Amino acid sequence: MITILSPIQYIFIVAVVLYILDSIWEVGSIFRPQKFSKRLADYFILAGLSFHCAFLIVVSIKSGTLPISTLFESSTFYLSLIVLLSVILKFLYRLQSLTPFVMPIVTGFSIASVALVRNDLAMTYNLKTFWLFAHIIPIFLGYASFTVSFIFSIMYLTQERQLKKKAFGPLFESLPSLETLDTLMWKTITFGFPLLTIGLVAGTVWAKTSNILGLLWYLDPKVLLGSLTWLIYAAILHLRLGASFHGTKVAIVTIVGFAIVLLTFIGPFLMGHKHGYEKRSVTLEQNVSPDDVRITKVKS
Amino acid sequence: MNLHTVGLNHDSAPVEIREKLAFSASAVPIALSSFTQSFPSSETVILSTCNRVEIYATSPDNSLNKESLLDFFSAFHDLPKEKFSGHMYHYQDINAVRHLFFVASSLDSLVRGETQILSQVKEAYMTAASAETTGSILNQLFQRSLNVAKDVHTRTNIGKGKVSVSSVAVDLAIKIFKDFSDKTIFIIGAGEMCELVLKHLVERGANTAIVANRNYDKAKSLAEEYNGKAINYENLEDYLPQADIIISSTAAPHYVIHTEHIKNAIKIRRGNPMLLIDIAVPRDINPEIAKIDNVYLYNIDDLQTVANSNIDDREKELGKCQKIIEKEVEKFMAWFEELKIGPAISQLRNHFHEIGEQELERLRPKLGEIAHEEWEHIVYSMQRTLNKILHKAAKVGKEKAKNGGGYQYVETIKHLFGIHHKDDSKK
Repeated sequence: MITILSPIQYIFIVAVVLYILDSIWEVGSIFRPQKFSKRLADYFILAGLSFHCAFLIVVSIKSGTLPISTLFESSTFYLSLIVLLSVILKFLYRLQSLTPFVMPIVTGFSIASVALVRNDLAMTYNLKTFWLFAHIIPIFLGYASFTVSFIFSIMYLTQERQLKKKAFGPLFESLPSLETLDTLMWKTITFGFPLLTIGLVAGTVWAKTSNILGLLWYLDPKVLLGSLTWLIYAAILHLRLGASFHGTKVAIVTIVGFAIVLLTFIGPFLMGHKHGYEKRSVTLEQNVSPDDVRITKVKS
Repeated sequence: MNLHTVGLNHDSAPVEIREKLAFSASAVPIALSSFTQSFPSSETVILSTCNRVEIYATSPDNSLNKESLLDFFSAFHDLPKEKFSGHMYHYQDINAVRHLFFVASSLDSLVRGETQILSQVKEAYMTAASAETTGSILNQLFQRSLNVAKDVHTRTNIGKGKVSVSSVAVDLAIKIFKDFSDKTIFIIGAGEMCELVLKHLVERGANTAIVANRNYDKAKSLAEEYNGKAINYENLEDYLPQADIIISSTAAPHYVIHTEHIKNAIKIRRGNPMLLIDIAVPRDINPEIAKIDNVYLYNIDDLQTVANSNIDDREKELGKCQKIIEKEVEKFMAWFEELKIGPAISQLRNHFHEIGEQELERLRPKLGEIAHEEWEHIVYSMQRTLNKILHKAAKVGKEKAKNGGGYQYVETIKHLFGIHHKDDSKK
């Protein structure tokens, strides 16, 4: 099987190209502000996000459900939520230094997700149920805000290192105060945690009522990892609320939390378990067998 | 029509001379009016700060030069010229323009890139403008100098980075804390530097201060000034956990704050960051404390290093600033030359038309009876001829003015048509 991108997917490719340009400009604007203008970076990110959303909307309209019918779609959906959240936070808090950290990561993941198309997996169940929306949307939003809080903790630790090492370069200048980062880290977690909880509860009810994961649904790796994620973030909440802990410790635990998020998201695929997804290449119009190609070549 | 600057600054003269020649804020208007009395039809601005005293002046005649300006200083301050003339610099025309642009952009300042001078130049200009001692030339010159200074500051990094120890300390505090209104600042010892940092932090919203000093009265007086609380030096330890920012500068020969103190404090604070600034020599705070998580410790050398590197960075921007200024100096000079070309060309035009009219007057009786219409044709033809001859000269003059060299061109024309003397007597 070889892969040919469908015309719709080229919309996403355009978004990725804009994200690559944005990443260069975002990082460049810190170290060479004269050469890389922040305004151009803003245009790149907004244009990229527009193409990204356009892609997801077209996909949704075509399939009549959320853009999560394939792993590729759900990855891009998740990435769009991260960019959207970052852009909102950037303009809400006048936070110039968030996107230079977010965009290289998002761009990396986007490129990786394009690579996914080659060997994509499709959703196995009827996608038009209420439970799907109740389960997926909160969880995805929760994951996206955890990702952003992970980025805040990276920023926190970077700034912390620079303060300790007395390395006061352009990066030091552009990063906000530790207190600001600590607050934002906290806000994004408290935004994501209730959403994750709702998503998990909805998922549990769905699994119990429709029996789509079988009788032993609670042994599904994704369910287990999801619960572990929930526990980690509950622990962070406890650290901050109960023990009112601040500073580097919270930042480190947030990074661990995000590692679990990533594991929950893609881990089961790597391990061969596919909570919800299976190879169903028939449904993927972009996959064409070599035989078909040969035939068209002969014809032409 | 020439532009002159005569003055002195921190480089050219010691403070003993500068203070003698300085004009106080109330003396400036008096000096301005006495200047215009001595040099009627001149324009002038007086810039007097603690680091420089300068007179900018221009006059359509040739009454202004270095000596006449020095005489003014001497007369106004009642000081013999020999006493200060060696410390004075004099710039003329393009050099005077360049000098003002340098001064306004803070490239000629003791601390390069500081912004205070810009408001001082503005102030000096406003004072002169309201005393009505400025005209079209100095108005143009000073307004442009303010714009150039803003341009230099926004397009280069000449004003970036703090260059004093106390402001570097505040910059560090800003990178740790978001706002200072809910933070406690703990001052140990009472030095000028401590107070300066405290003052900066209070300006940024800090409103809780604790002061400890071996001399309780000293602590009390500083605390009262900033609405803070003075504590007994012996109880210093008890207050450490409350402190978000600690600034220490005691004369103690040993450490005042020990590792155990801060370890304990940070435990109580549950990881809430602490900023410690040790300005004392010998040091007050055990340097081992820097290793504790969430504690940020800086000593006087750290702060000085940052300040020095910022000063170096500013020096590196000089070339860029000079380029911007040079462009603007050229633009101003083009305008200035055009200003000179304008009157010269109208003089030339008047001169030609006068000759034409004289010739017509001579011709009129010789023609006898002719129709009014025919005479009109003759007059018209004469005017056209003159205008055609003048057209090229005026055009080249304006071009020359734009590209420099306008002044020489004007002089040549004057010589060529013998209007030199007339011009001077007119002025």
